[in-house]
Amino acid sequence: MSRFFRQAGDSDSESEESDDELLSSGDEDAAPPKSTAKPAMSRFLRTAGSDSSSESESDSDEDDSDISGEEGGEKKKTRFLRSDSEPEDSDEDVKRVVKSTKDKRVEEIEATGKVMDNALKINDWVAISNEFDKLLRLVQRQSNSAEPIPPFFIRTLTSLETSLNAALTKEKEAKKKMNATNARALNSMKQKVKKTAKEYEKETQQFQNDPEAFEREYAALAQPVEAIAVKVKKVKKAAPSDSEDDVPEDDRFTTVGKGGKAMQFTTDSIFKTLKLVNEARGKKNTDRGEQIRILEKLLEVAVTPYQRIRILLALVSSRFDYNSSVATFMPVDLWLSAQREVDQLISIVATDSSYSVQEATEEYDELLERTPATEKDGVVRVRGSIISFVDRLDDEFTRSLQNIDPHGTEYIDRLKDEKVLYRTISRAQAYYEKTSQPEPLARVVMRRLEHIYSKPDAVVTALESSLASSEIVPSVTLASQAATSSLIHALCVHLYKADNSLLRTRAMLSHIYHHALHNDFYTARDMLLMSHLQESIHSADVATQILYNRTVVQLGLCAFRCGLIKEAQSTLQDIFTTQRVKELLAQGVHQQRYQSQLTPEQEKAERARQLPFHMHINTELLEAAFLVSSMLVEIPLLASIDSEEMKRKAISKPFRRLLDFADRQVFTGPPESTRDHIMQASKALQDGEWEKCRDLIQSIKIWSLMPEAASVKDMLAKRIQEQGLRTYLFTYAPYYTTLSLSLLSRTFSLPLRSVTSMISKMIWNEELSASLDSPTGVVVFHRMEHSRQQQLALVIADKVNALVEQNEKVLDIKLGGTGGWGDRGDGGKGEKRGEQTQERRGRGDRTRGGSGLRGGTRGRGGRFAQGLGNQMSGQSSQRAR
Amino acid sequence: MAEYDLSKTIIPYLDRHLAFPLLAHLVETAYFPVEQVQTAQYELAKGTNMVDYAVSLFEQLHPDEEIPEEFSGKREKAVSTNERLQQEAQAVLDVIENPDVAQALRQDKNQNLQYLKDNYNLTLEQITALYNFGQFQYTYGNYSGAADYLYHFRVLSTDNDLNTSAHWGKLASDILTGKWDTALEELNTLRDVVDSRSPASLLTASAEPAALTQLHSRTWLVHWSLFVYFNHPQGRTLLLETFMSPTYLNTIQTSCPWILRYITTAAILSRKSSAGGASASSRVRHSIREIVKVIQTEEYQYQDPVTSFLKELYVEFDFEAAQRELTLAERVVGDDFFLGEFREEFLDNARYLISEAYCRIHQRIDIGDLSARLNLSADEGEKWIVNLIRETRMGADAKIDLEKNVIEIHRSPVPVYQTVIEKTRGLAFRTQAMGAGMLQPQPAVPPNQAQPAVVEGAR
Repeated sequence: MSRFFRQAGDSDSESEESDDELLSSGDEDAAPPKSTAKPAMSRFLRTAGSDSSSESESDSDEDDSDISGEEGGEKKKTRFLRSDSEPEDSDEDVKRVVKSTKDKRVEEIEATGKVMDNALKINDWVAISNEFDKLLRLVQRQSNSAEPIPPFFIRTLTSLETSLNAALTKEKEAKKKMNATNARALNSMKQKVKKTAKEYEKETQQFQNDPEAFEREYAALAQPVEAIAVKVKKVKKAAPSDSEDDVPEDDRFTTVGKGGKAMQFTTDSIFKTLKLVNEARGKKNTDRGEQIRILEKLLEVAVTPYQRIRILLALVSSRFDYNSSVATFMPVDLWLSAQREVDQLISIVATDSSYSVQEATEEYDELLERTPATEKDGVVRVRGSIISFVDRLDDEFTRSLQNIDPHGTEYIDRLKDEKVLYRTISRAQAYYEKTSQPEPLARVVMRRLEHIYSKPDAVVTALESSLASSEIVPSVTLASQAATSSLIHALCVHLYKADNSLLRTRAMLSHIYHHALHNDFYTARDMLLMSHLQESIHSADVATQILYNRTVVQLGLCAFRCGLIKEAQSTLQDIFTTQRVKELLAQGVHQQRYQSQLTPEQEKAERARQLPFHMHINTELLEAAFLVSSMLVEIPLLASIDSEEMKRKAISKPFRRLLDFADRQVFTGPPESTRDHIMQASKALQDGEWEKCRDLIQSIKIWSLMPEAASVKDMLAKRIQEQGLRTYLFTYAPYYTTLSLSLLSRTFSLPLRSVTSMISKMIWNEELSASLDSPTGVVVFHRMEHSRQQQLALVIADKVNALVEQNEKVLDIKLGGTGGWGDRGDGGKGEKRGEQTQERRGRGDRTRGGSGLRGGTRGRGGRFAQGLGNQMSGQSSQRAR
Repeated sequence: MAEYDLSKTIIPYLDRHLAFPLLAHLVETAYFPVEQVQTAQYELAKGTNMVDYAVSLFEQLHPDEEIPEEFSGKREKAVSTNERLQQEAQAVLDVIENPDVAQALRQDKNQNLQYLKDNYNLTLEQITALYNFGQFQYTYGNYSGAADYLYHFRVLSTDNDLNTSAHWGKLASDILTGKWDTALEELNTLRDVVDSRSPASLLTASAEPAALTQLHSRTWLVHWSLFVYFNHPQGRTLLLETFMSPTYLNTIQTSCPWILRYITTAAILSRKSSAGGASASSRVRHSIREIVKVIQTEEYQYQDPVTSFLKELYVEFDFEAAQRELTLAERVVGDDFFLGEFREEFLDNARYLISEAYCRIHQRIDIGDLSARLNLSADEGEKWIVNLIRETRMGADAKIDLEKNVIEIHRSPVPVYQTVIEKTRGLAFRTQAMGAGMLQPQPAVPPNQAQPAVVEGAR
């Protein structure tokens, strides 16, 4: 048998002679493996391979002068090993080596076949069944090492099938001849053979059609495979390239796929193979890595754009399939190749408009080649979805960032991949622009926007710079727009026109975020208020809510940077009162402090929502900004009110809580944390020591993370001076009858004019009962002590007022109309009633201690200050008029 | 000062014809070279049918050049069109002017139409001839004629789009003929049309979202109404009333913040009337306080000397800066097309505001100092202050001490019981109203719910 194979091999290698000749010159180098191979060899030679080896020896001897085909073949395989100049010897050795591995298996197969033949003769189906199992296993192993199926196996299979059928018919005729076990074995054999025959249908057919050709082919392939089996690592690497070299010259390269299936890597059979792969996809025991390899090979042989598109579609999907579990992320190298393939796919469809990839197409035969010419309107439509690939690519990128430790270098390396991803997204955008598909275009634009909206200009420039090298460019680029904000603007405007309201909302929020990031507070605020998102955000999906929270927080920071302390305070207030800042910004998971335990699914979902580290807004900085602005708002207010009653109404509860806690401390050490700094600064401010306060605030380290830290610090110093003056006046006014303006201006290092202006403001707003005396330049305080009785009278008046208001509100709710009953009660004097309430409110403003402070921001700012809540509904009802 | 001139900003929101007076005013102020303004006038006139006017402007511009051919052709065409349209319109007019018809016409337009069709064979298309003729008359400057025809058209027509268009046309004609009372009426009806929520019937293309169309119309209305409000005797109060209403305030804040100058001026001008007149609504009385807030919030979008004057005075309490801004503002107001006539009044009122604020904050005031704040000489200042004390309620508190040349203001603090009374006033009334509300039978609730909407709409 083995002899037969060798000869077959010979004939094949003869055909390859032409290029082998070139190689023969390298015969000199063949010694080292000789020694290593020999021990294994000798044993083998003794047992099985004696005749074949001798034959090959004689072969080589004979043909030494004119380089026989076989020798040439061998030489080709082994040229890598050779390092000295003894061709004959080494040839011999290698031949033996080759035989040992391959033939061992082949012989085993043959032995099994023989046993089966024998068993068949005595009609022992149990033995046949056992042997057949063994045979299958062997063939399986053969195919696992990527070797072709031996024709012997096929032959056995066919003969088995015929004899099985014969046995079955015989069995039917004479029933009692067989015992139970044997009959059972026969039946199971029937099944098994049927199954196997089906599996190897293709090969069988080939074999039956032309057994000669099949065997020849096998032999041809067996040769390289032999080589691979023995050679050292270096050779292993080279061998595949060898076999690949073969592909173009004869397209009949066959490899055995998993489960013994032969995969035809030829242009003709691409679609068949593709179909097989597709069918195997998602099955339980499919080897995904193997599938990817098959597809990669297919891609190499694919010629027409249609084939390439089809294979790329399958390949990218199977890459994404590779890692099915949700928790972990796709391996980076796999991701990168997927990214490259998506790129390829896009450039194919973008450069050749006669091909298009669509989610919904007409039915077409998957096995047929299609060209623009065969289609009705000259456009080949392939089922698939580029946008979902891009989405998936982006998602996987985010997921990998979520899972990589953000403090390692790996994270940084991974971040660098954002550039290529961004390019892919932009190219996809360009493609969709070209083909004008609005729906996926909007999605891809959103993806692009999400990559740049929160980034500083420099990063955006870097990302955009990668677009220049791409052959297809989207209509909107940084180069065409000159500034990042106009780039963002262009992208957002595109999305505003989209039909998808979710995308519109997200675009709006990203746009606002970007404005806020660039210190454009007023634009950002106006956009946020005009979008009326506050009303509908509660019903939005979680990701959008997170984006909304981020936007609001960024807006607060922006206000802080711009020195708009009150706005910053009121904007950040909402999120800080929840005490779940990290969770709301998706920068950390919910702390399970209370009994509310999360189910594992919830927790997993929450983890999946987390933002990658580089997108985080620094919460410590955020807290510093919030607490400092709270301090600047709250401390003067605290100083201005004297009754306990009023003290309970805090503007900023979190700040007040911290302050109370700090007050209760018996000993205070030097400040360590940011909070400590701010608390001690607050105390200093309360005591009128504005310089100490300023130093404490400015020494907070976290400011260095804020852009334009120096100017922010200056701004804070100025605010502290002003608020220090106010606090001082509120606190110490009772102890003075007059105070010199120039003294105040010296103490607080403020120009006289601004001191005067600030005091005037306080007097005008009736926060301070005093007046200025211009000739002498002093403030004169008129303090009036209310008697206990008078105080109580005022309190009760307030309370009665509140009571009536409450009652009115209750009645309103009960009657369901807005003031409907009141209108009728007044006999249609609704207008007048409105006036009254307004007056009432006005007066209320003045009586409340610090409300003058807030009154100033009424109007649009006020709307914002009131926490985006009920005031908005009032506004909209007014608009309805 | 040219940078404070708003003509360029406002003109895009005006009708072609309404822009002429503005340009004419620009010639007077001489901020811009006369030739430029004249070129602008000429360009403007070219687009209208006022051929003679355009020709004369052309001659002014290019005294030594031939008058372009197109004008004569245009003229002939205009005359012929005029005749044709007039004939068409005359047919309708003949019918309408018939006393029998006038008596037979009722409120219901459809019925009227039916009646005219049955008895006089008058169709809707013929009535539209009125509109066409009116519009044509407007294009060649016969505004009063245009107003007449448009009026008649509106009475008869049922076409909403054309009606609205006729409204605008009539308003423009009334403005240009200077009939301020009629114009005011027209303005109010037009405002109702714009505010009523049938934006589909508004002028602009229906492809745009309704809200946007409404915003556009309101913006236009705001600009056009400036003509009326600053010429009608009651105008300033009405302006405050309208512009300070939330809808229009929103419009101004979003699309035309420069209108703030006019609101501010109107607020300052209305100070006196608000001090005495109980008839003015709360909106007018508190206009200054409100406008200061608006100015503050819109500061990043728009500011000019007029608004910054108010800001310096009431936000910063920087009297020196306020005085500086006032000098600027005075010139700005004097040169503004709409505000020009009110310069003196503005100055007067602004001084009042300054001295009021100054007196409230200070206990003893140096007269020289105050006079300087008011841009007055010491003598004038003294006279002014005496008048001030006499006119306002400060009489009891303020005294002039000529020896030291100071005013002393003694403000006795508000007694506690007064505050308590203030606070509790109206409580009884409100409770009563509430009681009445509770006694309402429940079935009355559904109509009751509908009612507020009506009331609100009417407001």
